[in-house]
Amino acid sequence: MELLERQEVWNITYHHALGETASEFYTRIRDEGAIYGRRSAGSGRVLVPPRSFSDETLLPTTEWVKVGPGGQIEAFTIVYERFNNLPDPPYAFGYVLLDGADTALGGYFKGIDLTDPQAAADKLKVGTRVTTTFAADRKGEMLDFWFELTQ
Amino acid sequence: MGLRIQPAVIGCALRPVIAARDRSLEEMIYDTAQQALRDAGITIDDIDGIVVASNDQFDGRSISVMMASGPVGGVDRDIMSTPSASEHAFIMGALRVASGQFRTQLVVSWSPTEVSSMADAQRLGTDPYFHRGLPLDELSAHALQASALEHAVPGARQAAEAVAAKNREHGRLAWPDPPLHPAAGPLRWPLTPAMTAAPVSGAVALVLACPEFVAEGGLRDVAWLRGMGWATEPGFLGDRDLSTAPALAAAVRQAYETAGISNPAADFDLAEVTDATPYTELLAWEALGLCPREAWLADSIDGRFARGGRVPVNLSGGVLTWNPVFCTGLMRIGELANQIRGKAGAHQQANARCGVAHAGSGFALQYQAAVILSREPRQ
Amino acid sequence: MSSDRVGIIGIGQSEFRSRRDDASYPELVREAVAPAMSDAGLDFDAVQAVVYSLSPDAMVGIGNAERLGVDAVGGRNKPFLRINNGGATGISSVIAAYYHVASGMFDVVLTAGADKVGECGDSQTVLNKIWDPSYERPLPLGTINMLAMSAVRYMNFYGMTEEDMARVTVKNRRHASLNPKAHLRKPVTIDDVMASRTISWPIKLLDCCPQSTGGAAMVLASERFIRDNHLDAVWITGVGHAAETYWMGDRMGNNPTAEHAGAHALRRSFERSYRMAGITDPERQVHVAELYAPFSNTEFHCIDAARLVAKPGDSIARLRDGEFELGGRLPVNPSGGTLCTNAIAVTAMARVAEVALQVWGRAGAHQAQGARLGIASGNGGDHQIFGTVVIEA
Repeated sequence: MELLERQEVWNITYHHALGETASEFYTRIRDEGAIYGRRSAGSGRVLVPPRSFSDETLLPTTEWVKVGPGGQIEAFTIVYERFNNLPDPPYAFGYVLLDGADTALGGYFKGIDLTDPQAAADKLKVGTRVTTTFAADRKGEMLDFWFELTQ
Repeated sequence: MGLRIQPAVIGCALRPVIAARDRSLEEMIYDTAQQALRDAGITIDDIDGIVVASNDQFDGRSISVMMASGPVGGVDRDIMSTPSASEHAFIMGALRVASGQFRTQLVVSWSPTEVSSMADAQRLGTDPYFHRGLPLDELSAHALQASALEHAVPGARQAAEAVAAKNREHGRLAWPDPPLHPAAGPLRWPLTPAMTAAPVSGAVALVLACPEFVAEGGLRDVAWLRGMGWATEPGFLGDRDLSTAPALAAAVRQAYETAGISNPAADFDLAEVTDATPYTELLAWEALGLCPREAWLADSIDGRFARGGRVPVNLSGGVLTWNPVFCTGLMRIGELANQIRGKAGAHQQANARCGVAHAGSGFALQYQAAVILSREPRQ
Repeated sequence: MSSDRVGIIGIGQSEFRSRRDDASYPELVREAVAPAMSDAGLDFDAVQAVVYSLSPDAMVGIGNAERLGVDAVGGRNKPFLRINNGGATGISSVIAAYYHVASGMFDVVLTAGADKVGECGDSQTVLNKIWDPSYERPLPLGTINMLAMSAVRYMNFYGMTEEDMARVTVKNRRHASLNPKAHLRKPVTIDDVMASRTISWPIKLLDCCPQSTGGAAMVLASERFIRDNHLDAVWITGVGHAAETYWMGDRMGNNPTAEHAGAHALRRSFERSYRMAGITDPERQVHVAELYAPFSNTEFHCIDAARLVAKPGDSIARLRDGEFELGGRLPVNPSGGTLCTNAIAVTAMARVAEVALQVWGRAGAHQAQGARLGIASGNGGDHQIFGTVVIEA
């Protein structure tokens, strides 16, 4: 009995409206090279990345607040495995609490030797200070910035 | 068997067309949920459970409930997702209130048009074993059903044309800015542009509550769930006789039994049905016991199902006016709820005390549901 | 107690494997449904409604794939709907079926599903697409690295080590070796785990769940039906869901409500189901637990969140002491758990099925002796939506 197979690839394109808040966030990254969060009305917490409302209170956020460029590592991982449609390993990424923010922002960590996982993990441990570095040529997207260890 | 506790619809937000692109999908969902809460006169703090429904492929997210949970107030709440159909979110919400473990439920569904090709996204719903290679999107499936009906029922096409004209006329009266339907557009024989409406982005949210909550709040504008039924056809179109709708018949039977409906034309003041095409409306007329197929042609032109007639069907203009694809089913239930609550605005039926909503979804309406709402609670 | 309870009267599970080239997706569903129905002693006519368990469509490669399972569950012309709560789908489906019965509308409800994760070549690609396109999609997020970050924070707060993580794998693999339905059944040692390659630090290959293929099904019934038909059953006495913020970065930083190292919403979900079941002291009242933990490190915060220990972080030492293994005081994941079998659409249902078998005394070689009250949990989304149940004999 011959068992057959069929290959199918899901290939669909989307045009997602970003809305005013995300659009403003990216515009400021592109034009100013700076990260901004939004202040939540009830608690006063600065949410980064910014949203037009807080999911805890469901109240609209009130104002733009510039955060960073310094910050501290809240979580990280170093990926050594290859996955389809994701970057070539090894790479490190995680979340950084930028100065002035109350929530952490995701991004890549660059400029660290990742050959030895434990040594790299020691350099990236929770609480380590980092700086946001911006690309010279920015398009207005998440990959316009990344984090490097503060010397 | 009926529900132990009778839920009521106490608030609605109906957004059958959202043309602006200034809000992200999550913001659009947030706006819709907030609108329903305001309409119910409550805040999110009064909500103790949520059910959402959307299609991952339309949304472009592999687990659409994830990011949608925040906007609907899901943080620190009991939230579930029924992506099979928007009307299933209503059903699940009603079952949860009926269980006695929830006083309220917020039910939300949405349907964006951010995917570059709705047809391609829908075609992913066919199985890869036998059908993926065919141009089988929802419109094609509706066309197959239409051709089956034209073959089985003399006069079906004329009846369909009359139904389409009726609903478009209702739509012009119901909405301040009714759509301009294109004269030409995507066709699948025998469907004409007059028999379908182009997909638009839309969203809908309802608030359900138990009798105790209604009494405590002294809420007046509510629509009580008198009965509901739902059922599914088999997955392969070829396994179905598309000139019939047995799942709809089963759903209606269940709804009528629990609601004690024996004479629909007399018991109902109006109906909202899923007219994805006018053929699906004709099938609904039959299954609801309003009009057997032998009478489709005659009844489609004598005005009994039009505005001012005996049992107006689709005073909202139906799906033939606005087609927010995935959430059209829940939209029908919402439209009916607003009629019963006296909140239907320009297309309000005077003295609407009891009505039925027919919600259908999927390929040739594989999922079928019937929901009966009434001004009076049961005794 | 009035005759209002909802019972489980039938259970079916596949023998989970990587691939099943001999079976289509609907056939896999049928494979689990048939034994569940015969376990319940009913034929399909007795089933009054169906709840279908299926998480991301993209994993199976078919939009609204539940439609193809209609016949496998005998669903034609019956009330039928599908649940998708991400990885929690299986337990959410059982809970949805529970509400069908508890509503008073149905006496007998079937819930079932299957998954073919092994057939999807790109499960991490699909799981990357669960994040929002506005901000986080460009990041290489996937479920593995998301939970690696949770491990990093748990290490930071509670001193968990990679060896502690390895102990979870060792325990669960030993359990799975006693469970004929489990996928990965080969026992391993701490050294084996430590020597396995790093996937996303600190998670190594042997800290990860497999990609499994198979199905599961359960039949629920009202107490009245069970009594009238003289059926054997175990009882669902507590159910609940809770969700936390979707934003992982909000689970870090300054005073987060939900901490990414832990499982805040799981704790809240257990609060709901415990309250319903009248459990006030889970550490003492629970005999057995099947907690959804696809990576070794996450079993710790599940044990913490289920309040099987006094404070978060205590789970580490107590696992090391043997408390949570078969033969210990409170076996956790005696089936081998998600770490040894993960057919996403039904994994959380398998947790419920396994706990039901335990309190029923039918768990065979992996039976926890004397277990009469058990708990099960499921996790969905980016570790965000949690369902829990309490089951009693």
